[in-house]
Amino acid sequence: MKFDLENPLTSSNEHENDTVSALFAAESDHMPSFFSFKSTDIPFSIRRHAFSLISQAQFSYNLDQFTTYLAINYIDRFLSKQAVPENKPWIVRLLVIASLSLAAKMRSINLSLFDFQRDEGLIFDSESIQRMEVLILTTLNWRLRSITPFAFLDFINSLFELSDSSLSQTLKDRATDIIFNSHYEVKLFEYKPSILAASALLCAAHELIPQQFSIFLDEVSKCEYINKEELLNCWAVMRDATINEMTSSSLTPKSVLEYEDTSPENENNSKRRRLSDLQNDQTLHISQLQHC
Amino acid sequence: MEKYEKLEKVGEGTYGKVYKAKDKATGQLVALKKTRLEMDEEGIPPTALREISLLQMLSNSLYIVRLLCVEQIDKNGKPLLYLVFEYLDTDLKKFVDSHRKGPNPRPLPPSLIQSFLYQLCKGVAHCHSHGVLHRSILVTGPLCFLQWDRLVDLKPQNLLVDKEKGILKIADLGLGRAFTVPIKSYTHEIVTLWYRAPEVLLGSTHYSTAVDMWSVGCIFAEMVRRQALFPGDSEFQQLLHIFRLLGTPTEKQWPGVSSLRDWHVYPKWEPQNLASAVPALGPDGVDLLTKMLQYDPADRISAKAALDHPYFDSLDKSQF
Repeated sequence: MKFDLENPLTSSNEHENDTVSALFAAESDHMPSFFSFKSTDIPFSIRRHAFSLISQAQFSYNLDQFTTYLAINYIDRFLSKQAVPENKPWIVRLLVIASLSLAAKMRSINLSLFDFQRDEGLIFDSESIQRMEVLILTTLNWRLRSITPFAFLDFINSLFELSDSSLSQTLKDRATDIIFNSHYEVKLFEYKPSILAASALLCAAHELIPQQFSIFLDEVSKCEYINKEELLNCWAVMRDATINEMTSSSLTPKSVLEYEDTSPENENNSKRRRLSDLQNDQTLHISQLQHC
Repeated sequence: MEKYEKLEKVGEGTYGKVYKAKDKATGQLVALKKTRLEMDEEGIPPTALREISLLQMLSNSLYIVRLLCVEQIDKNGKPLLYLVFEYLDTDLKKFVDSHRKGPNPRPLPPSLIQSFLYQLCKGVAHCHSHGVLHRSILVTGPLCFLQWDRLVDLKPQNLLVDKEKGILKIADLGLGRAFTVPIKSYTHEIVTLWYRAPEVLLGSTHYSTAVDMWSVGCIFAEMVRRQALFPGDSEFQQLLHIFRLLGTPTEKQWPGVSSLRDWHVYPKWEPQNLASAVPALGPDGVDLLTKMLQYDPADRISAKAALDHPYFDSLDKSQF
């Protein structure tokens, strides 16, 4: 499947340089704010909850990864601006549903939210979902055209001339995987999409073309838009995340939950209880939402 | 919406009424555009979502009217969206009109024309550089940025002007499809053809950014002449206006022109001297205008290249 986001910079158009600089200039508008997350642990645990719900949805309904990536981007940015009470898990679920709905709309994908909710024994009425959509839109100031790391892959890949150019696509595909699979890693929060893309390509190069790695690193670091120190820090975090990923095979909802369980701020180990709590909450009204 | 005090209705845009209003807290003047957004059981329509987020991204430029925020209200149970834009006191059409008629008719100062055109090219260049970006960022489907009914409907009415500061900004970007209303029946305003590029008039299905540069050329000439360069009232007549001045295009000049969908056999007019249509304009200006009004879209100057044209050499660019 081709995602447009992957290829913003392939055009040999005369505006290319402008486009590259516009992309780098705008990327910070689409990042969650790490600092507002740091102040308390609540957003992290909420994020983990949201992440596992999205992973479940992705596997159960075969959602494409770009849609879920986008939804998580919305959730992260939302959580860095809005306080969400931790003792109301239904809000997290509603946030996930509304974010998925918005992401699907942005990508012109039909997503039946009804199907998505049916198996969970909890169905929000469409009014609640719409209210949540509006709350997300307002919080994100309607900036839903997120600039994600995928937008930078081609450009960064083009900085280095591979001895075997057929490897270029392989490198990019592997980097794409790495970006998806390390998305759960909150330590990557503070890095700009371009740095994430460059780091993912470094990880991929390290795995696939180790003998050319150091030249690759040199070339990428020379790029005027990329700060080498930031890149190296990010690469180190991402490499660790990738090693985790490789040891636990790929990321499944189960592995996400396991990952959560090993975390210090563990949420009582009980997803099941949460789900049954949610079931009692079926007649959700927006007045509740407004209180949060 | 209690945040704003409506002052007066300033117009009916292509997608709803526009009010001048004041932000009660800050005193800032804003333009409120009421959209007639149909919300269904699916919530906010995907088109509106995509268009508003596009507008939000483009309005980062100084040369694009800034979208300050989006307000959603319920009116009798029906959701309404208000787009809140920065307010500018007039538009280029009214501004040019005030120099043609009224108590003190006079030409626009050449330095102002130069400055307005420069700002317009800046804004268009910004849209175009993001066009590449936007087609590709994020959204699937042919987000063709440049379709005529979509994005930059460049005409003097859509260029807002701050008279005191000499600022010009592009307005009304990109909301064409999200808020489709039957324009004629709603506003009784006929969609203007005057700024439409010949390839669009001839039914070409693949537009490029060059369509906008044609419009920029027409607007440039209009500022100099204080009246429209090609004031056609039908698509056919619009073409005849263009052909009479610039000559009927030939295959040699514009390869492929005679295979465009709406091409017919037209009288063969010889090109006139363009300088005679804009007598007040110096040679550099005429040269730039000529480059903007090239028949073959591939030959037409881009917004970015226009910014470097010698016509702007005498302009103090540090202010932009």
